[in-house]
Amino acid sequence: MKPALLLLAAAVSQAQIYDLLIKNGLVMDPANRRNGKMDVAVSGNKVAKVAPNLPASRARVVVEAGEYYVTPGLIDIHTHFDEQGAWLNLNPDHNTLRFGVTTAVDAGSSGADNFESFRARVISRARTRLLAFLNICSAGMYGLEVENDPKQMNVDRAAALARKHRDVIVGIKTAHYRPADWIAVDHAVKAAAISETVCMIDFFPQPGREYPELLLKHMRPGDIHTHFYGRLIPQLDAANKVQPYMWEARKRGVLFDVGHGAGAFLFRIAAPMIEQGFLPDTISTDIHKNSVMLPMANMTQTMSKFLNLGLTLEQIVERATVNPARSIRRPDLGTLSEGAAADIALLVLERGRFAFLDSGHAKLTGQRRLRCAMTVRDGRIVWDEDGLAATEVSAAGPYSNFK
Amino acid sequence: MVVCLSPAQAQTYDLLLKGARVVDPANGIDAVRDVALAGARIARVANGIAPSEARKTVDLSGLIVTPGLIDLHFHAYGYSGSLFPDDTALLTGATTVVDAGGAGYRTIDDFRRRIIAKSRTRVLALLNIAGGGMTGQASEDNVEDMLPEKTAQTIQKNRDVVVGIKVAHFSKPGWDALKRAVEAGRLAGVPVMVDDKIFTNTGRTSRQKLLDVMRPGDLHTHMYNDRQVEILSRFDGKVEQYSWEARRRGVLFDMGHGGGSFLWTVAIPAARQGFWPDTISTDLHSSSIMIPQSDMPNCISKMMLLGMKLEDAILRSTVNPAKAIRRFPELGTLGEGKEADLAVLAVREGVFAFKDAWGKKLLGTKKVECVMTIRNGRLVHDAEGRAFPEWTKAGRYEVLP
Repeated sequence: MKPALLLLAAAVSQAQIYDLLIKNGLVMDPANRRNGKMDVAVSGNKVAKVAPNLPASRARVVVEAGEYYVTPGLIDIHTHFDEQGAWLNLNPDHNTLRFGVTTAVDAGSSGADNFESFRARVISRARTRLLAFLNICSAGMYGLEVENDPKQMNVDRAAALARKHRDVIVGIKTAHYRPADWIAVDHAVKAAAISETVCMIDFFPQPGREYPELLLKHMRPGDIHTHFYGRLIPQLDAANKVQPYMWEARKRGVLFDVGHGAGAFLFRIAAPMIEQGFLPDTISTDIHKNSVMLPMANMTQTMSKFLNLGLTLEQIVERATVNPARSIRRPDLGTLSEGAAADIALLVLERGRFAFLDSGHAKLTGQRRLRCAMTVRDGRIVWDEDGLAATEVSAAGPYSNFK
Repeated sequence: MVVCLSPAQAQTYDLLLKGARVVDPANGIDAVRDVALAGARIARVANGIAPSEARKTVDLSGLIVTPGLIDLHFHAYGYSGSLFPDDTALLTGATTVVDAGGAGYRTIDDFRRRIIAKSRTRVLALLNIAGGGMTGQASEDNVEDMLPEKTAQTIQKNRDVVVGIKVAHFSKPGWDALKRAVEAGRLAGVPVMVDDKIFTNTGRTSRQKLLDVMRPGDLHTHMYNDRQVEILSRFDGKVEQYSWEARRRGVLFDMGHGGGSFLWTVAIPAARQGFWPDTISTDLHSSSIMIPQSDMPNCISKMMLLGMKLEDAILRSTVNPAKAIRRFPELGTLGEGKEADLAVLAVREGVFAFKDAWGKKLLGTKKVECVMTIRNGRLVHDAEGRAFPEWTKAGRYEVLP
């Protein structure tokens, strides 16, 4: 039976029958330098073809996407998901897929002690593609006592676990470390080096543990400093000029990630930096129980803030797709290349009068806002706010829960 | 109220909401009014309250202020699709949610500790008649562990959060589960919410369930699901006489939208014949929150699309659910002195798709959205940043109050 099915599948794909055809959308796929009106065809759970004028007659489901931007599924590299772990964590899926995020990277909620349970309970059950930074602390992000305890930081154990779960673990995270020494950063970077992954660092300077030293000496090219628009980071001098070591670090290949969160994204810092051309490498949310409330740090809302701070839509999509994919060394993601996983977002650029709050609850009033109208994850439509693929009830015929 | 006359404390109110249409069915108000809060309480609802009397004033012209919505059918515990309450409820105007049977007498303590105590949302509970709660068919079919006395005792110990009983998903023939739930309800003096399968092999009928088994005040949830209860005749689409009779007896019908229980094909003819839900609720869980978008504003919008007036939908999302769980008038009202739980809603104009639990859509031109939520006097959601200053005028701010 099985070989016959496989043959049938092969025949179908040769006949170029599409399960889903997104027609006439404004395709924005920075990984492939695509930016224009064309069609995106999906077969099974893969992108089959991206080109103008694909035949609607060959598709099972056709979505007319005239006014929508069609982008690769967004990648949020700083999230906190766990249905029963640290209290600030959220449930995935409705906090990702509804905002176009098809790949989310949990930023160190779990460590070597609890990662495998996290994987079994959360990662394997989520419809979102969940990846993870492993916390250098074995107990994970379970309070300052744990996170400030060097005994929690077992480099070899973390590296071994990262290797074992290389399909899901993309790097090592250190966060919230207070003592004025380099133990947490150096242990995390070392574990990342051994496991050949990247290190994401949440940091605040202390006397004797200065920020330029972090950027220029302790981090490797490709390591990620998250929360870099935060209020505890000396990114700007007294005249609001971007510090020279920021540029130098960028030249070295250190990556700067937004990690919006409840304390790390302030318009008063981001605006002058953006004005001086210091843009984020990656846009991410640090979505959790607090940041999701007043600052509404979900992905489209966070992207909208950058839209109203002067970035172009293309710059934003680049920083939410191909850049994060490369930063976690998953170039197979964040792209609409033919054969790539069919993770797709349909975004609407709304015009009107909107306002956004930052982590400090200050407001940015603007004229444009991004909204996610549809999300396709692994070839399946999982979000369809505008009902683009939904049948009108008058045309649906009888349906019933009676079987 | 004690009015303090010292000039330093001349501001009587902490927060003044100005210029909105206040829809407060509990107090018969549907008019433009100002609402003033002091601490965690509603201090005054009146015309022309001066901003000088408040520490902070927010202009809400063009918006609608209602009591915090009460979602009578929510899943925060036990059920595999359970959601944390705050980012789901508070962002959509629901300040009170009632978990519908996630916990049974064996697990209510764990539910209290892990979720109820930690949530900013007011989380109440219907205790499952199954001792293990809504943890799968084995638990929900385990008649041996449906213990009316034990359940009633557990309710007495948890009266601050447990407001009733739930029976759901019973897949065996006969009336054991429902009768035990009703017995527990009788012992504890609380209502029972029923989610019951009607299969040919159960030997149960909607008529018998609604007229012979359920008591006045008991709730049938999933009313627009044609499998849980047949409110319509399958032959002519008319609302069954027993549905009307059950309603006259005092059996309550709850929307309980969910991932399988709100069908346009049932709701449209029922609404056309005037058979509306007594209470609007979401059955929100990890599936229903996605394509069907069964959050409270969406459920209200769907009712409005069927012809219900906004003020009527608010009645069925505030006063009626509060009464159903016997928490009226503590909840569901903007009465002066009551706890300050409020929702601020906007009615958007445009073309919107409203999808039922089967993903079938009906297009409408009005959509209700929650733009602000206040819970226990605290602003917890402000989608338009109405309560905060523009960043360019905020100086070297850190976190603005």
